[in-house]
Amino acid sequence: MMEPIAGSRCPDCGWVVAPPVRICPRHPVEMTPVEISGHGSVLSYTTLMAAPEGFKPPLHIAIVELPGGARIFCHGKETRALKIGRRVAIEQVDGIFYFASLGIADRVTMFWKRRGAAPERTRDAVKSAVKRFFSAYKNGGTAPPFENGGAENGEEKNSGVEER
Amino acid sequence: MWIAAAAMTRFGRRAETLENLMADAALGAMREADRQPDALVVTVMAPEEFVGEGNFASHIGTYLGLSRVPGLRVETATSSGAAALYAGFALIASGFHDHVLVLGGEKMTHASTPRVSEIISRVIDPHERSYGATMPALAAMVARAALAKGLISETDMAQVAVKNHANGARNPYAHFQKPVTLEGVMSSRVIADPLRLQHCCPISDGAAAVLLTADPTGTKLAGMGQGSDYLAVRYRSSLTGFRATQDAAKAAFRMAGFGPERVQVAEIHDAFVPFEILALEDTGLYPPGKATKAVENGELTLEGRLPVNPSGGLKARGHALAATGLAQVVELVWQLTGRALGRQVKAQVGLAHSIGGMATNNWVTLVEQVA
Repeated sequence: MMEPIAGSRCPDCGWVVAPPVRICPRHPVEMTPVEISGHGSVLSYTTLMAAPEGFKPPLHIAIVELPGGARIFCHGKETRALKIGRRVAIEQVDGIFYFASLGIADRVTMFWKRRGAAPERTRDAVKSAVKRFFSAYKNGGTAPPFENGGAENGEEKNSGVEER
Repeated sequence: MWIAAAAMTRFGRRAETLENLMADAALGAMREADRQPDALVVTVMAPEEFVGEGNFASHIGTYLGLSRVPGLRVETATSSGAAALYAGFALIASGFHDHVLVLGGEKMTHASTPRVSEIISRVIDPHERSYGATMPALAAMVARAALAKGLISETDMAQVAVKNHANGARNPYAHFQKPVTLEGVMSSRVIADPLRLQHCCPISDGAAAVLLTADPTGTKLAGMGQGSDYLAVRYRSSLTGFRATQDAAKAAFRMAGFGPERVQVAEIHDAFVPFEILALEDTGLYPPGKATKAVENGELTLEGRLPVNPSGGLKARGHALAATGLAQVVELVWQLTGRALGRQVKAQVGLAHSIGGMATNNWVTLVEQVA
Protein backbone atom coordinates (compact mmCIF):
# COMPACT_ATOMS: atom_id res chain seq x y z
CA MET A 1 0.00 0.00 0.00
CA MET A 2 2.85 2.32 0.71
CA GLU A 3 4.22 3.75 -2.52
CA PRO A 4 7.95 3.34 -3.08
CA ILE A 5 10.02 6.51 -3.39
CA ALA A 6 12.50 6.81 -6.25
CA GLY A 7 16.10 7.36 -5.18
CA SER A 8 19.68 6.71 -6.21
CA ARG A 9 22.49 4.63 -4.74
CA CYS A 10 26.19 5.17 -5.24
CA PRO A 11 27.82 1.96 -6.53
CA ASP A 12 31.07 2.98 -4.80
CA CYS A 13 30.13 4.26 -1.35
CA GLY A 14 26.60 2.86 -1.07
CA TRP A 15 25.06 6.19 -0.13
CA VAL A 16 21.36 6.47 -0.94
CA VAL A 17 19.74 9.81 -1.77
CA ALA A 18 16.28 10.95 -2.87
CA PRO A 19 14.95 12.30 -5.18
CA PRO A 20 17.20 10.56 -7.76
CA VAL A 21 20.33 12.34 -8.95
CA ARG A 22 22.77 11.41 -11.70
CA ILE A 23 26.03 11.74 -9.78
CA CYS A 24 26.83 10.90 -6.15
CA PRO A 25 27.09 14.16 -4.19
CA ARG A 26 30.14 12.70 -2.38
CA HIS A 27 32.23 12.02 -5.47
CA PRO A 28 31.90 12.08 -9.28
CA VAL A 29 30.46 8.59 -9.73
CA GLU A 30 27.20 7.88 -11.62
CA MET A 31 24.49 6.51 -9.32
CA THR A 32 22.05 3.65 -9.94
CA PRO A 33 18.28 3.90 -9.41
CA VAL A 34 16.66 2.38 -6.31
CA GLU A 35 13.22 2.29 -4.75
CA ILE A 36 12.85 3.25 -1.11
CA SER A 37 10.01 2.24 1.16
CA GLY A 38 7.68 5.19 1.79
CA HIS A 39 8.03 5.79 5.52
CA GLY A 40 10.57 7.22 7.88
CA SER A 41 11.29 9.35 10.90
CA VAL A 42 11.14 13.12 11.29
CA LEU A 43 14.55 14.83 11.57
CA SER A 44 13.20 18.35 11.92
CA TYR A 45 10.23 20.46 10.90
CA THR A 46 8.83 23.95 10.84
CA THR A 47 5.68 25.89 10.18
CA LEU A 48 6.47 28.77 7.90
CA MET A 49 4.27 31.79 8.55
CA ALA A 50 6.06 34.00 6.02
CA ALA A 51 5.68 31.78 2.97
CA PRO A 52 7.54 32.59 -0.28
CA GLU A 53 5.79 33.60 -3.48
CA GLY A 54 3.59 30.75 -4.73
CA PHE A 55 2.74 29.33 -1.28
CA LYS A 56 0.18 30.23 1.33
CA PRO A 57 0.95 30.27 5.07
CA PRO A 58 0.89 28.44 7.38
CA LEU A 59 3.15 26.12 5.41
CA HIS A 60 4.21 22.92 7.19
CA ILE A 61 7.54 21.44 6.09
CA ALA A 62 9.44 18.45 7.49
CA ILE A 63 12.70 16.64 6.73
CA VAL A 64 12.10 12.89 6.93
CA GLU A 65 14.79 10.21 6.97
CA LEU A 66 13.77 7.15 4.95
CA PRO A 67 14.98 3.56 5.43
CA GLY A 68 18.56 3.38 4.13
CA GLY A 69 19.35 6.96 5.20
CA ALA A 70 18.01 9.11 2.35
CA ARG A 71 16.21 12.24 3.50
CA ILE A 72 13.42 14.07 1.75
CA PHE A 73 11.52 17.30 2.29
CA CYS A 74 7.75 16.95 2.57
CA HIS A 75 4.62 18.90 3.25
CA GLY A 76 2.06 18.07 5.89
CA LYS A 77 -1.23 19.26 7.18
CA GLU A 78 0.21 20.46 10.45
CA THR A 79 3.23 20.10 12.71
CA ARG A 80 1.57 20.66 16.07
CA ALA A 81 1.63 17.04 17.24
CA LEU A 82 4.93 16.36 15.49
CA LYS A 83 8.15 15.55 17.36
CA ILE A 84 11.70 14.91 16.18
CA GLY A 85 12.02 11.14 15.80
CA ARG A 86 8.31 10.61 15.14
CA ARG A 87 7.65 7.95 12.50
CA VAL A 88 5.49 8.99 9.57
CA ALA A 89 4.18 7.54 6.34
CA ILE A 90 5.05 9.33 3.10
CA GLU A 91 2.64 9.74 0.25
CA GLN A 92 3.33 11.18 -3.19
CA VAL A 93 1.03 12.98 -5.52
CA ASP A 94 2.58 14.10 -8.81
CA GLY A 95 6.05 13.88 -7.36
CA ILE A 96 5.27 15.93 -4.24
CA PHE A 97 5.83 14.20 -0.89
CA TYR A 98 3.39 14.49 2.00
CA PHE A 99 3.90 13.11 5.49
CA ALA A 100 1.34 11.59 7.85
CA SER A 101 -2.01 10.05 7.24
CA LEU A 102 -4.52 12.56 6.10
CA GLY A 103 -8.28 12.77 5.67
CA ILE A 104 -9.87 13.83 2.39
CA ALA A 105 -10.70 17.36 3.61
CA ASP A 106 -7.11 17.85 4.81
CA ARG A 107 -5.80 16.89 1.39
CA VAL A 108 -7.98 19.37 -0.41
CA THR A 109 -6.80 22.23 1.86
CA MET A 110 -3.19 21.15 1.57
CA PHE A 111 -3.11 20.97 -2.22
CA TRP A 112 -4.79 24.33 -2.37
CA LYS A 113 -1.75 25.84 -0.68
CA ARG A 114 0.66 24.81 -3.39
CA ARG A 115 1.54 26.95 -6.37
CA GLY A 116 -0.05 26.28 -9.74
CA ALA A 117 -3.25 26.96 -11.63
CA ALA A 118 -6.58 26.21 -10.00
CA PRO A 119 -7.56 23.31 -12.33
CA GLU A 120 -4.19 21.66 -11.68
CA ARG A 121 -4.61 21.99 -7.93
CA THR A 122 -8.15 20.62 -8.10
CA ARG A 123 -6.88 17.65 -10.09
CA ASP A 124 -4.15 16.96 -7.51
CA ALA A 125 -6.60 17.21 -4.66
CA VAL A 126 -9.01 14.79 -6.36
CA LYS A 127 -6.20 12.37 -7.18
CA SER A 128 -5.10 12.41 -3.57
CA ALA A 129 -8.62 11.91 -2.29
CA VAL A 130 -9.15 8.96 -4.64
CA LYS A 131 -5.87 7.46 -3.54
CA ARG A 132 -6.91 7.83 0.07
CA PHE A 133 -10.20 6.11 -0.67
CA PHE A 134 -8.52 3.15 -2.35
CA SER A 135 -5.82 2.74 0.26
CA ALA A 136 -8.51 2.69 2.94
CA TYR A 137 -10.45 0.14 0.91
CA LYS A 138 -7.42 -2.13 0.43
CA ASN A 139 -6.63 -1.85 4.10
CA GLY A 140 -10.04 -3.19 5.01
CA GLY A 141 -11.37 0.21 5.93
CA THR A 142 -8.55 1.33 8.20
CA ALA A 143 -6.35 4.32 7.51
CA PRO A 144 -2.74 3.83 6.43
CA PRO A 145 -0.26 3.65 9.28
CA PHE A 146 0.82 6.99 10.72
CA GLU A 147 2.66 6.47 13.97
CA ASN A 148 4.35 3.26 12.87
CA GLY A 149 5.69 3.53 9.38
CA GLY A 150 5.35 -0.05 8.13
CA ALA A 151 8.57 -1.62 9.36
CA GLU A 152 6.82 -3.03 12.38
CA ASN A 153 3.96 -4.35 10.23
CA GLY A 154 6.21 -6.96 8.69
CA GLU A 155 6.06 -5.17 5.35
CA GLU A 156 9.78 -4.64 5.26
CA LYS A 157 11.78 -7.78 4.65
CA ASN A 158 15.00 -5.91 3.95
CA SER A 159 16.56 -2.47 4.43
CA GLY A 160 13.66 -0.78 2.67
CA VAL A 161 15.83 0.02 -0.35
CA GLU A 162 15.58 -2.04 -3.52
CA GLU A 163 17.30 -1.92 -6.89
CA ARG A 164 14.98 -0.93 -9.68
CA MET B 1 48.94 40.27 3.41
CA TRP B 2 48.05 43.69 4.76
CA ILE B 3 45.01 45.89 5.04
CA ALA B 4 45.67 49.45 3.87
CA ALA B 5 42.15 50.77 4.45
CA ALA B 6 38.62 49.72 5.34
CA ALA B 7 35.41 51.67 4.82
CA MET B 8 31.66 51.15 4.69
CA THR B 9 28.37 52.97 4.42
CA ARG B 10 25.68 52.88 7.06
CA PHE B 11 23.55 49.78 6.51
CA GLY B 12 19.79 50.11 6.39
CA ARG B 13 17.05 51.37 4.15
CA ARG B 14 19.00 53.67 1.87
CA ALA B 15 17.66 56.06 -0.76
CA GLU B 16 20.96 56.15 -2.70
CA THR B 17 21.58 53.96 -5.75
CA LEU B 18 23.70 50.80 -5.42
CA GLU B 19 26.39 52.53 -7.49
CA ASN B 20 26.51 55.49 -5.09
CA LEU B 21 26.60 53.30 -1.99
CA MET B 22 29.49 51.32 -3.47
CA ALA B 23 31.23 54.53 -4.54
CA ASP B 24 30.99 55.92 -0.99
CA ALA B 25 32.68 52.80 0.40
CA ALA B 26 35.28 52.64 -2.39
CA LEU B 27 36.22 56.34 -2.22
CA GLY B 28 36.39 56.08 1.58
CA ALA B 29 38.95 53.27 1.34
CA MET B 30 40.99 54.91 -1.41
CA ARG B 31 41.14 58.23 0.48
CA GLU B 32 42.17 56.52 3.69
CA ALA B 33 44.96 54.59 1.98
CA ASP B 34 45.77 57.57 -0.26
CA ARG B 35 46.22 55.30 -3.24
CA GLN B 36 44.45 53.73 -6.18
CA PRO B 37 44.27 49.98 -6.62
CA ASP B 38 45.83 48.08 -9.51
CA ALA B 39 42.94 45.57 -9.50
CA LEU B 40 39.32 45.57 -8.45
CA VAL B 41 37.37 42.63 -7.00
CA VAL B 42 33.67 43.39 -6.94
CA THR B 43 30.90 41.45 -5.29
CA VAL B 44 27.15 41.89 -5.48
CA MET B 45 25.01 38.81 -4.91
CA ALA B 46 22.09 39.44 -7.26
CA PRO B 47 22.36 42.78 -9.10
CA GLU B 48 20.61 41.29 -12.14
CA GLU B 49 17.54 40.67 -9.99
CA PHE B 50 17.61 43.55 -7.53
CA VAL B 51 18.75 46.45 -9.72
CA GLY B 52 18.67 45.01 -13.26
CA GLU B 53 22.39 45.45 -13.96
CA GLY B 54 24.82 42.81 -15.23
CA ASN B 55 28.54 42.78 -16.12
CA PHE B 56 28.84 44.38 -12.74
CA ALA B 57 32.62 44.56 -12.33
CA SER B 58 32.87 46.66 -15.49
CA HIS B 59 29.76 48.63 -14.56
CA ILE B 60 31.10 49.69 -11.17
CA GLY B 61 34.69 49.96 -12.46
CA THR B 62 33.55 52.53 -15.01
CA TYR B 63 31.42 54.34 -12.42
CA LEU B 64 34.45 54.60 -10.11
CA GLY B 65 36.88 55.71 -12.80
CA LEU B 66 38.74 52.42 -12.45
CA SER B 67 37.93 50.95 -15.85
CA ARG B 68 41.61 50.58 -16.78
CA VAL B 69 42.46 48.09 -14.03
CA PRO B 70 41.40 44.44 -14.14
CA GLY B 71 37.97 44.03 -12.53
CA LEU B 72 36.28 40.76 -11.71
CA ARG B 73 33.12 39.79 -9.89
CA VAL B 74 32.98 37.07 -7.21
CA GLU B 75 29.81 35.48 -5.85
CA THR B 76 29.19 32.82 -3.17
CA ALA B 77 25.68 33.76 -2.03
CA THR B 78 25.56 35.49 1.37
CA SER B 79 29.30 35.05 2.03
CA SER B 80 30.23 36.84 -1.21
CA GLY B 81 32.06 39.63 0.64
CA ALA B 82 34.40 37.17 2.34
CA ALA B 83 34.89 35.28 -0.93
CA ALA B 84 35.83 38.52 -2.68
CA LEU B 85 38.40 39.22 0.03
CA TYR B 86 39.84 35.74 -0.57
CA ALA B 87 40.07 36.44 -4.30
CA GLY B 88 41.80 39.75 -3.56
CA PHE B 89 44.20 37.95 -1.22
CA ALA B 90 44.99 35.45 -3.99
CA LEU B 91 45.58 38.20 -6.57
CA ILE B 92 48.25 39.74 -4.35
CA ALA B 93 49.71 36.47 -3.03
CA SER B 94 50.12 35.22 -6.60
CA GLY B 95 52.17 38.29 -7.45
CA PHE B 96 49.72 39.47 -10.12
CA HIS B 97 48.88 42.68 -8.24
CA ASP B 98 50.08 44.79 -5.30
CA HIS B 99 47.04 46.79 -4.21
CA VAL B 100 43.56 45.32 -4.65
CA LEU B 101 40.31 47.10 -3.85
CA VAL B 102 37.73 44.57 -2.65
CA LEU B 103 34.29 46.14 -2.90
CA GLY B 104 30.88 44.70 -2.01
CA GLY B 105 27.38 46.10 -2.02
CA GLU B 106 23.71 45.22 -2.20
CA LYS B 107 20.54 47.24 -2.68
CA MET B 108 17.27 45.45 -2.03
CA THR B 109 14.97 47.36 0.32
CA HIS B 110 13.12 48.86 -2.67
CA ALA B 111 11.76 45.37 -3.51
CA SER B 112 8.84 43.74 -1.63
CA THR B 113 9.72 41.31 1.16
CA PRO B 114 8.21 38.24 -0.63
CA ARG B 115 10.21 39.19 -3.75
CA VAL B 116 13.46 39.60 -1.75
CA SER B 117 12.73 36.31 0.01
CA GLU B 118 12.17 34.57 -3.33
CA ILE B 119 15.42 35.92 -4.82
CA ILE B 120 17.44 34.94 -1.73
CA SER B 121 15.75 31.49 -1.73
CA ARG B 122 17.44 30.68 -5.03
CA VAL B 123 20.59 29.93 -3.02
CA ILE B 124 18.72 26.84 -1.71
CA ASP B 125 18.70 23.34 -3.24
CA PRO B 126 15.89 23.05 -5.85
CA HIS B 127 14.15 20.04 -4.22
CA GLU B 128 14.10 21.79 -0.87
CA ARG B 129 13.06 25.11 -2.39
CA SER B 130 10.19 23.42 -4.26
CA TYR B 131 8.62 22.70 -0.86
CA GLY B 132 8.60 26.39 -0.04
CA ALA B 133 11.79 26.17 2.03
CA THR B 134 13.24 29.67 2.48
CA MET B 135 16.35 30.62 4.46
CA PRO B 136 14.23 31.23 7.60
CA ALA B 137 12.53 27.85 7.09
CA LEU B 138 15.85 25.99 6.90
CA ALA B 139 17.27 27.99 9.81
CA ALA B 140 14.13 27.14 11.78
CA MET B 141 14.72 23.43 11.18
CA VAL B 142 18.32 23.81 12.34
CA ALA B 143 17.12 25.73 15.41
CA ARG B 144 14.46 23.10 16.15
CA ALA B 145 17.05 20.32 16.02
CA ALA B 146 19.47 22.32 18.21
CA LEU B 147 16.72 23.05 20.75
CA ALA B 148 15.78 19.35 20.83
CA LYS B 149 19.43 18.43 21.48
CA GLY B 150 19.68 21.04 24.24
CA LEU B 151 22.46 22.89 22.37
CA ILE B 152 20.53 26.17 22.66
CA SER B 153 17.49 27.43 24.53
CA GLU B 154 14.79 29.94 23.62
CA THR B 155 16.20 32.32 26.24
CA ASP B 156 19.74 32.01 24.81
CA MET B 157 18.40 32.93 21.37
CA ALA B 158 16.62 35.99 22.75
CA GLN B 159 19.72 37.02 24.75
CA VAL B 160 21.85 37.04 21.60
CA ALA B 161 19.33 39.30 19.89
CA VAL B 162 19.26 41.64 22.91
CA LYS B 163 23.08 41.80 23.05
CA ASN B 164 23.48 42.46 19.32
CA HIS B 165 20.84 45.20 19.37
CA ALA B 166 22.51 46.80 22.41
CA ASN B 167 25.75 46.90 20.36
CA GLY B 168 23.95 48.16 17.26
CA ALA B 169 22.49 50.98 19.34
CA ARG B 170 26.08 52.23 19.81
CA ASN B 171 27.07 51.86 16.15
CA PRO B 172 26.22 54.77 13.83
CA TYR B 173 26.68 52.42 10.85
CA ALA B 174 24.02 49.97 12.05
CA HIS B 175 20.64 49.37 10.39
CA PHE B 176 18.94 49.16 13.80
CA GLN B 177 20.28 51.57 16.43
CA LYS B 178 17.66 50.70 19.02
CA PRO B 179 17.82 48.17 21.84
CA VAL B 180 15.27 45.35 22.13
CA THR B 181 14.12 43.56 25.30
CA LEU B 182 14.10 39.86 26.11
CA GLU B 183 10.28 39.91 26.33
CA GLY B 184 10.05 41.90 23.09
CA VAL B 185 12.12 39.29 21.24
CA MET B 186 10.28 36.32 22.74
CA SER B 187 6.86 37.75 21.92
CA SER B 188 7.65 38.98 18.39
CA ARG B 189 5.63 37.29 15.65
CA VAL B 190 6.55 33.81 14.47
CA ILE B 191 8.28 33.71 11.07
CA ALA B 192 9.11 29.99 10.91
CA ASP B 193 8.44 28.15 14.14
CA PRO B 194 10.53 28.27 16.44
CA LEU B 195 12.09 31.38 14.86
CA ARG B 196 10.46 34.74 15.49
CA LEU B 197 10.92 38.04 13.70
CA GLN B 198 13.44 39.24 16.30
CA HIS B 199 15.56 36.12 15.76
CA CYS B 200 16.12 37.07 12.11
CA CYS B 201 18.33 39.68 10.46
CA PRO B 202 16.77 42.48 8.43
CA ILE B 203 16.87 43.16 4.69
CA SER B 204 19.44 45.96 4.32
CA ASP B 205 21.13 48.14 1.74
CA GLY B 206 24.78 49.01 2.11
CA ALA B 207 28.33 48.73 0.83
CA ALA B 208 31.77 48.00 2.26
CA ALA B 209 35.33 48.10 0.94
CA VAL B 210 38.70 46.76 2.03
CA LEU B 211 41.91 47.80 0.29
CA LEU B 212 44.48 44.99 0.45
CA THR B 213 48.15 45.65 -0.13
CA ALA B 214 51.48 43.84 -0.32
CA ASP B 215 53.14 46.77 1.52
CA PRO B 216 53.22 46.23 5.28
CA THR B 217 50.79 48.35 7.31
CA GLY B 218 50.00 47.75 10.97
CA THR B 219 46.97 45.61 10.18
CA LYS B 220 47.63 42.11 9.00
CA LEU B 221 45.21 39.79 7.24
CA ALA B 222 46.68 36.93 9.23
CA GLY B 223 44.62 34.05 7.89
CA MET B 224 41.69 33.11 5.69
CA GLY B 225 39.98 29.78 5.32
CA GLN B 226 37.06 28.42 3.35
CA GLY B 227 34.82 25.44 4.03
CA SER B 228 32.16 23.81 1.86
CA ASP B 229 29.13 21.64 2.34
CA TYR B 230 26.41 20.10 0.18
CA LEU B 231 23.93 22.58 -1.26
CA ALA B 232 21.19 20.23 -0.03
CA VAL B 233 20.64 20.40 3.71
CA ARG B 234 19.17 16.87 3.56
CA TYR B 235 22.56 15.43 2.50
CA ARG B 236 24.30 16.57 5.69
CA SER B 237 25.14 14.22 8.50
CA SER B 238 24.40 16.91 11.10
CA LEU B 239 21.84 19.68 11.09
CA THR B 240 23.21 21.38 14.19
CA GLY B 241 26.86 21.92 13.29
CA PHE B 242 28.14 23.40 10.04
CA ARG B 243 31.03 21.47 8.52
CA ALA B 244 31.71 24.47 6.28
CA THR B 245 32.41 26.66 9.31
CA GLN B 246 34.53 24.00 11.03
CA ASP B 247 36.72 23.52 7.93
CA ALA B 248 37.00 27.26 7.28
CA ALA B 249 38.12 27.94 10.86
CA LYS B 250 40.73 25.15 10.80
CA ALA B 251 42.17 26.47 7.53
CA ALA B 252 42.25 30.09 8.76
CA PHE B 253 44.00 29.22 12.04
CA ARG B 254 46.47 26.99 10.17
CA MET B 255 47.40 29.89 7.89
CA ALA B 256 47.66 32.35 10.78
CA GLY B 257 49.81 29.99 12.82
CA PHE B 258 47.83 30.54 16.03
CA GLY B 259 44.70 29.10 17.62
CA PRO B 260 41.28 30.35 18.75
CA GLU B 261 42.71 31.30 22.18
CA ARG B 262 44.29 34.42 20.67
CA VAL B 263 40.99 35.79 19.33
CA GLN B 264 39.74 38.74 21.42
CA VAL B 265 36.82 39.98 19.33
CA ALA B 266 34.61 38.25 16.75
CA GLU B 267 32.11 39.19 14.09
CA ILE B 268 29.84 36.17 13.61
CA HIS B 269 27.24 35.55 10.87
CA ASP B 270 24.07 35.78 12.96
CA ALA B 271 21.58 35.94 10.09
CA PHE B 272 19.47 33.92 12.52
CA VAL B 273 20.51 34.28 16.16
CA PRO B 274 20.91 30.55 16.92
CA PHE B 275 23.67 30.55 14.27
CA GLU B 276 25.80 32.80 16.51
CA ILE B 277 25.76 30.22 19.29
CA LEU B 278 26.42 27.28 16.96
CA ALA B 279 29.23 29.19 15.19
CA LEU B 280 31.04 29.92 18.45
CA GLU B 281 31.55 26.17 18.77
CA ASP B 282 32.08 25.43 15.05
CA THR B 283 34.89 28.03 14.89
CA GLY B 284 36.55 26.59 18.01
CA LEU B 285 36.12 29.84 19.98
CA TYR B 286 34.23 27.76 22.55
CA PRO B 287 34.48 24.02 23.18
CA PRO B 288 31.43 21.91 22.25
CA GLY B 289 28.53 22.52 24.64
CA LYS B 290 30.06 25.64 26.24
CA ALA B 291 28.68 28.44 24.05
CA THR B 292 25.30 28.72 25.77
CA LYS B 293 27.04 29.25 29.12
CA ALA B 294 29.01 32.11 27.56
CA VAL B 295 25.75 33.68 26.37
CA GLU B 296 24.17 33.29 29.79
CA ASN B 297 27.25 34.65 31.65
CA GLY B 298 27.43 37.75 29.48
CA GLU B 299 30.89 36.80 28.18
CA LEU B 300 29.97 37.93 24.67
CA THR B 301 28.98 41.52 25.54
CA LEU B 302 31.26 44.53 24.87
CA GLU B 303 32.55 44.26 28.45
CA GLY B 304 32.80 40.47 28.38
CA ARG B 305 35.71 38.07 27.92
CA LEU B 306 35.08 37.70 24.16
CA PRO B 307 32.96 40.48 22.65
CA VAL B 308 30.96 39.00 19.77
CA ASN B 309 29.35 41.18 17.12
CA PRO B 310 30.32 44.56 18.59
CA SER B 311 28.92 46.07 15.36
CA GLY B 312 25.51 44.63 16.17
CA GLY B 313 26.05 41.70 13.81
CA LEU B 314 23.77 40.88 10.91
CA LYS B 315 20.92 41.13 13.40
CA ALA B 316 21.35 44.85 14.17
CA ARG B 317 24.15 46.25 11.95
CA GLY B 318 22.16 44.63 9.14
CA HIS B 319 22.70 42.21 6.28
CA ALA B 320 23.35 43.77 2.88
CA LEU B 321 24.21 40.34 1.41
CA ALA B 322 27.49 40.76 -0.55
CA ALA B 323 28.56 43.74 1.59
CA THR B 324 28.22 41.84 4.86
CA GLY B 325 31.39 39.72 4.77
CA LEU B 326 33.44 42.87 4.11
CA ALA B 327 31.55 44.96 6.69
CA GLN B 328 32.57 42.37 9.30
CA VAL B 329 36.24 42.89 8.40
CA VAL B 330 35.77 46.68 8.41
CA GLU B 331 34.41 46.42 11.98
CA LEU B 332 37.40 44.28 13.03
CA VAL B 333 39.86 46.78 11.53
CA TRP B 334 38.12 49.65 13.35
CA GLN B 335 38.13 47.68 16.61
CA LEU B 336 41.80 46.71 16.33
CA THR B 337 42.88 50.26 15.44
CA GLY B 338 40.82 52.00 18.13
CA ARG B 339 38.33 53.60 15.73
CA ALA B 340 35.13 51.87 16.88
CA LEU B 341 33.79 54.92 18.65
CA GLY B 342 31.09 54.18 21.21
CA ARG B 343 31.57 50.42 21.11
CA GLN B 344 35.37 50.08 21.34
CA VAL B 345 36.76 46.88 22.81
CA LYS B 346 40.36 46.04 23.66
CA ALA B 347 41.71 43.57 21.12
CA GLN B 348 44.67 42.75 18.90
CA VAL B 349 43.25 39.74 17.09
CA GLY B 350 39.77 39.52 15.56
CA LEU B 351 37.85 36.80 13.77
CA ALA B 352 35.16 37.22 11.12
CA HIS B 353 32.83 34.36 10.20
CA SER B 354 30.64 34.43 7.10
CA ILE B 355 28.00 31.93 5.96
CA GLY B 356 27.19 31.49 2.27
CA GLY B 357 23.69 30.18 1.53
CA MET B 358 22.62 27.58 4.04
CA ALA B 359 26.24 27.14 5.16
CA THR B 360 27.41 25.80 1.80
CA ASN B 361 30.37 28.13 1.28
CA ASN B 362 31.66 29.59 4.54
CA TRP B 363 34.69 31.68 5.40
CA VAL B 364 36.70 32.54 8.46
CA THR B 365 39.03 35.54 8.37
CA LEU B 366 41.61 36.47 11.01
CA VAL B 367 42.85 40.04 11.35
CA GLU B 368 45.78 40.93 13.60
CA GLN B 369 47.08 44.33 14.66
CA VAL B 370 50.86 44.09 14.80
CA ALA B 371 51.93 47.71 15.19
